[in-house]
Amino acid sequence: MPSYESLLSALALAVIATPALLVAVFFVAFLLNRRLGETFISRLIQGTITVSLLAAIVAAVTMVVAGTSQHTVELGDWVITTTYHLKFEFVLDLLSISYVLLTLVLCATIGAFSTRYLHRERGYNRFFVLFAVFLLGMVTAALSDTVETLFAGWEMVGLSSVLLIAFFQERPSPPRNGLRVWIVYRVCDAALMLAAILMHEINGAGDFDHLVGSQAWPDHDPLLIGPHFTLLALLFVIAAAGKSALVPFSGWLPRAMEGPTPSSAVFYGALSVHLGVFLLLRVSPVLDSAPWLGVLVVSLGAVTAVFAYLAGRVQADIKSALAFASLTQVGIIIAEIGLGFRYLALVHLLGHACLRTLQFLRAPSLLHDHHQLENAIGARPREEGVMWEQRLPPGVQRWLFRFSIERGFLDSLLERFVARPFVWFFRRLDAFDRAVSRWIDGEPGLPPGRRDLP
Amino acid sequence: LSIFLLPLWIHLTAALPLAAALLALCLRSPVVAARWSNAVLAASLGSTVAIFAAHSAAPPGTVGEGGAGVLAVDDIASPMMPVVVLIHLLTMLGTAKARISTQFCARLLLSAGGMLVALTAVPGALLVGALAIGALLPWWDLRSRGRRTRGYCLHMGLFLALLLAAWQDRDGGARPAALLMLAVLLRGGVVPLHGWLPPLFQNAAFGSALVFVLPLAEVLAALRMLLPVMTGGAAEAGRLACLLTALYGGGMAIVQDDSRRFFAHISLSQTALVLYAALQQTSNGLTAALCLWISAPLSLAGLAFSLRALEARFGSLSLREHHGFYEQVPGLAICFIITGLGSVGFPGTIGFVPMELLVSGSIERSLWTPAALAVVAMMNAIAIMRAYFALFTGRSPATSISLRATLPERAGIVIISMLVFLGGWFSPSVVESRHRTANRLLGAPVPPAEAAPHGNPAAESRPSRPEQPRL
Repeated sequence: MPSYESLLSALALAVIATPALLVAVFFVAFLLNRRLGETFISRLIQGTITVSLLAAIVAAVTMVVAGTSQHTVELGDWVITTTYHLKFEFVLDLLSISYVLLTLVLCATIGAFSTRYLHRERGYNRFFVLFAVFLLGMVTAALSDTVETLFAGWEMVGLSSVLLIAFFQERPSPPRNGLRVWIVYRVCDAALMLAAILMHEINGAGDFDHLVGSQAWPDHDPLLIGPHFTLLALLFVIAAAGKSALVPFSGWLPRAMEGPTPSSAVFYGALSVHLGVFLLLRVSPVLDSAPWLGVLVVSLGAVTAVFAYLAGRVQADIKSALAFASLTQVGIIIAEIGLGFRYLALVHLLGHACLRTLQFLRAPSLLHDHHQLENAIGARPREEGVMWEQRLPPGVQRWLFRFSIERGFLDSLLERFVARPFVWFFRRLDAFDRAVSRWIDGEPGLPPGRRDLP
Repeated sequence: LSIFLLPLWIHLTAALPLAAALLALCLRSPVVAARWSNAVLAASLGSTVAIFAAHSAAPPGTVGEGGAGVLAVDDIASPMMPVVVLIHLLTMLGTAKARISTQFCARLLLSAGGMLVALTAVPGALLVGALAIGALLPWWDLRSRGRRTRGYCLHMGLFLALLLAAWQDRDGGARPAALLMLAVLLRGGVVPLHGWLPPLFQNAAFGSALVFVLPLAEVLAALRMLLPVMTGGAAEAGRLACLLTALYGGGMAIVQDDSRRFFAHISLSQTALVLYAALQQTSNGLTAALCLWISAPLSLAGLAFSLRALEARFGSLSLREHHGFYEQVPGLAICFIITGLGSVGFPGTIGFVPMELLVSGSIERSLWTPAALAVVAMMNAIAIMRAYFALFTGRSPATSISLRATLPERAGIVIISMLVFLGGWFSPSVVESRHRTANRLLGAPVPPAEAAPHGNPAAESRPSRPEQPRL
């Protein structure tokens, strides 16, 4: 008879091992140069998610029945050197179980939807390979109890998201937008990597329980005060801001809508966009290390919510409108975290993710739904709602419209003050480099600094 | 492989590619020469893996030293021997039939043999000689293609002069250390001494440039010759130069429009990272260097493998427009992305743990150093994804013939993808052995089991004295 702890550990491992097995099947197929059939992929996806979901449900029910609030699964030390310690560890608690259940339920829905939606699509295989990587990344991040494990899942989610944005790769704009999203992701990944290193410096390990205490989430050790904790919290906030498209990184979210609708639903409506929120919930005790951090997080959330509301009001396509609606809610959830309402934020996150997934999945048939509605009532549905903008002076109205249609000028500001100077600087350096090489090689032409310069 | 036969086996293994190179020169048919080279390199790979296994099973220390032979295997050389041979084998497998010549095969085999000799050389003079001969091979390639060699000759001439001057002055204290540092930085293409590297990739055969750059001979020189005599000031200057080069290479790789220059700058950045780690003089830093020395060349070899296979089909590649090669060669696209991300330390790949070790080890210097390293990783990843999108997305070109991967290419893709992807899962044992080697090099043996993983890490002290210098 297995003990209660070992049963929970086995269930937690089953939740993670099944998506890992799914990725392994695709990898072996790639090595053997075999193309998997649609039916096989469809059954594989459904079977994998079902097993993983069942394991998660059994684990959750077992914990509720036994009254266990937290269970840690240690996979042993991965790497140990004199000053570095890397281990993979998972935790079952209210936060991780809720998020992993949400992930698996939504991925099961999207998986089933996609097998029909992408039937005979050229990139069917590619979609499900990336979907499998995404699923593994989400489950790994959700159950992680060390920052390295979270980082591994975080990166997998980022990579699969970007490659799915570029899914329709024959068109020029999806890869271009994918690259933009990748750049933002890499910035926030760098912040998370630094946070991981700082955690090691503070605690000698990357375990979250070493950082916030061994009590079950959201309780924590109250002694998290000091400049290093504040710096750590700031790095976490930057990482979360990038992943959840908070201001000033919000520009990538509408660009991410280039991908197929199922991936838009699960990534940017439901799961990926909430991963930053999840991170802040996981490390929320660190946000209490300085009073101004709470103010910063609330402000960040509020500004994002207002910005997304304004930008969402002027969108002309349904997916972009839904993306900004999603971002509005994410901003509010972030503000809730900053105010210390962690349970509320978690419930808000779960509800919002489910609602938004449904809306995204209905988006392709929105016009059809509208026509049905019009036929049923015999007239066009009446526009309702308070148009508060009409009460503003015309000048302010125009400015607000321009601000909203240009998405807060965030993209153009980043392009003007970050991207262009960077490219200009390195292109000049490259031209100089080439000129010097030619000069050393004795090729005829102008001396260095006079040739090749744009 | 018996421990008693091992010294003889080491000599035979190093001699095999050298002798095979002479025979390749005598062959008339490039196809036969290519088959011959593939067979010799495959045999060398098997042999070096056997040596690695035998060395791992043997008691700690150097195998074969003290006998009549001039070659011996220690824990620096033993894992690197298969890596070096594999890089050469992949280069051979990835070379299109139309571009193979008997001279190319001979150069490749000479390079493999020379690098094996350099790795296992017991006398310092032999190591210096092997490094010098290795530097001549790209020159031979450039000359045979009728390209200008002045820039390359100036840089490598200076490298050899510095190496020989340091060798002559080996008991002189700080001066040979400074000369050696300069030589190592020059061979590694550290800014501003990098002027030979991008032109080499542009003008020489891609394969010749690869086998000269990817084995990272400068890291070998740093570990064997520089580390025992390195002074604090020289190390500090070297580290700063390497860090700046890593940033420079990452930034330049992002803005390149030519695939070869892109690769040159990515490898410049990665080489600088390995050298930076090697010059850290701490247990973690050196462990990271030894791990990166395995992971970075393998990942870059895979990246180059994909690029060369594309070049063989479509000619020179511009990164300005989208080519849409995915539909024709999906295997190469996957190989490109796996190996590219492996080179920047993506989780689950062979580069993840070394990169983590490097960044975490660097926090002992200052808070800005890990930030700079994170920026390097970020820029390299952006450059790789940009190149991926440029090469593999877009409208697919119409072709009348199948452009699917050939059998040798398929073999290369499988080998490198498995190593880079699955290698990440076998990192712990590699890191453990590299950590032991790092501690031995620093003269501060700390068994991993005795380390206190949960304790607050104190700043590592400067090692007492490195091991017996081989210079």
